Amino acid sequence: MKLTTGIALLLLAITAAAQSHLDVQTTVQKEEVFVNAAGEEEKRMVTAERVVPGETVYYTITFTNISDDSADNVVITNPISENLVYLDGSASGEGMDIVFSADGGESFAAAADLAVTEDGTSRAATAEDITHVRWVMRNDLAAGAQGIARFAAVLE
Amino acid sequence: MESASRFLAPAVNWLRGASLLCAICVLPATASAAGTAVGTLIENTASVDFTQLGAQQTTNSNTVSFLVAERIDVVVTLRSGQVTVLPGATAQALLFTVTNTGNGTEAMDLAINSVVPGDDFDPIPASPDSIFFDTDGSGDFNTGDVAYAAGVNDPVLAADESVDVFLVNNIPGTVTDSNLGRSELRATAATGSGAAGTVFAGQGDAGVDAVLGTTGGTAATFGEYIVDDVAINVVKSQVVSDPMGGSMPVVGATISYTISVEVVSAGTATAATINDVIPTWSTFVPNSITLNGAALSDAMDGDAGEYDLTGTPAVVVRLGDLTQADGPQSIVFQVTID
Repeated sequence: MKLTTGIALLLLAITAAAQSHLDVQTTVQKEEVFVNAAGEEEKRMVTAERVVPGETVYYTITFTNISDDSADNVVITNPISENLVYLDGSASGEGMDIVFSADGGESFAAAADLAVTEDGTSRAATAEDITHVRWVMRNDLAAGAQGIARFAAVLE
Repeated sequence: MESASRFLAPAVNWLRGASLLCAICVLPATASAAGTAVGTLIENTASVDFTQLGAQQTTNSNTVSFLVAERIDVVVTLRSGQVTVLPGATAQALLFTVTNTGNGTEAMDLAINSVVPGDDFDPIPASPDSIFFDTDGSGDFNTGDVAYAAGVNDPVLAADESVDVFLVNNIPGTVTDSNLGRSELRATAATGSGAAGTVFAGQGDAGVDAVLGTTGGTAATFGEYIVDDVAINVVKSQVVSDPMGGSMPVVGATISYTISVEVVSAGTATAATINDVIPTWSTFVPNSITLNGAALSDAMDGDAGEYDLTGTPAVVVRLGDLTQADGPQSIVFQVTID
């Protein structure tokens, strides 16, 4: 009996999770040069719809705790698309530790510590090697609170 | 320009200029890789793991995506070195390579301009056609090469693909020795050209937008003709002396060759060099080379000539820059008949 109740509670919890206590929205933008009212060239960010190889795209991941309870151990993970190369130094997130994976998400390390094994020898990973970016919140995300994680990548 | 009387020996080669004139110089590739194919969908989805009320949970973000648009870029590379021509020569060709360095497929418009500043004369584009494809891939302009007709057979190049093109010009009869003439090939992407960053909405491959890259969708490079109008006479003669005191060309006989080189026109034969291969049935007589009576060592040292064994054995003598005023230069060397 006890076991059944335990399972029932667990099922409830999982079902509740499916209702997204955390809302996560991603946007992708790129820089656009335009001529302002004064006739000068200015840059602004616009939604990236048409991108050519060599251009940089900027991703913003906004996550909001839309529930009544605090969310702990919040970890945001973003796989880098095959045709994109992570832009060195572009990952940011206030109150977050940022780590990277170069092995398809199996292991993560800080940028300075990230290594790859090539032909049996280990070498420092470069931006081209990065397959995932991960942001680890240092503190809990209180009910109603929001966090923003960012990174950029170059289209090959 | 060259006359040589040949007896038992093969022809004498003389080379003008110390620089290498190569018809098909393969220059290092300067075009960059094209990039991700046009129309590729690039997607991104972030996921968030967290615990709440003791339970581990995961939420995915929305998936954002964008399409890879077409970047239009083209590069024109000169393949010929300087092409040596005579005054009044016709159908003289310069070889170029046109490369699509963008990431989509583009038809290229080709144009010739032989009025390029900075030279001594304007080559005259051949008529009726002055632009040809290197259809047989030989690197030499010949009858197998197909003429280009704008709008009819514009080369269609996929990303990173290239095509070899000849510009064919005639040389005016009024030019003089060492005059330079330039002729330029321009390639322009059919979708459009202009300022880098210009967008051609929906005009890329498969209806995706096309954007001009840093080349602006057009590129032009010129090649050069140099007029070589110096007349040189090269005359080779021989004297045979056999072991019996006669002049029968028998085994053991010595042949003394004399090569006389003389500039007989205005102008300078720059770095004129004689290169005479020893007959295969003979053996070079060591230390027999003389230039205008002065002995030259067999070894490759600081003097004007040597017996060169690096390739097919040959007598090589460097005569420097010769003009008519220098008069005839006389090279003598000996071989014995094997």
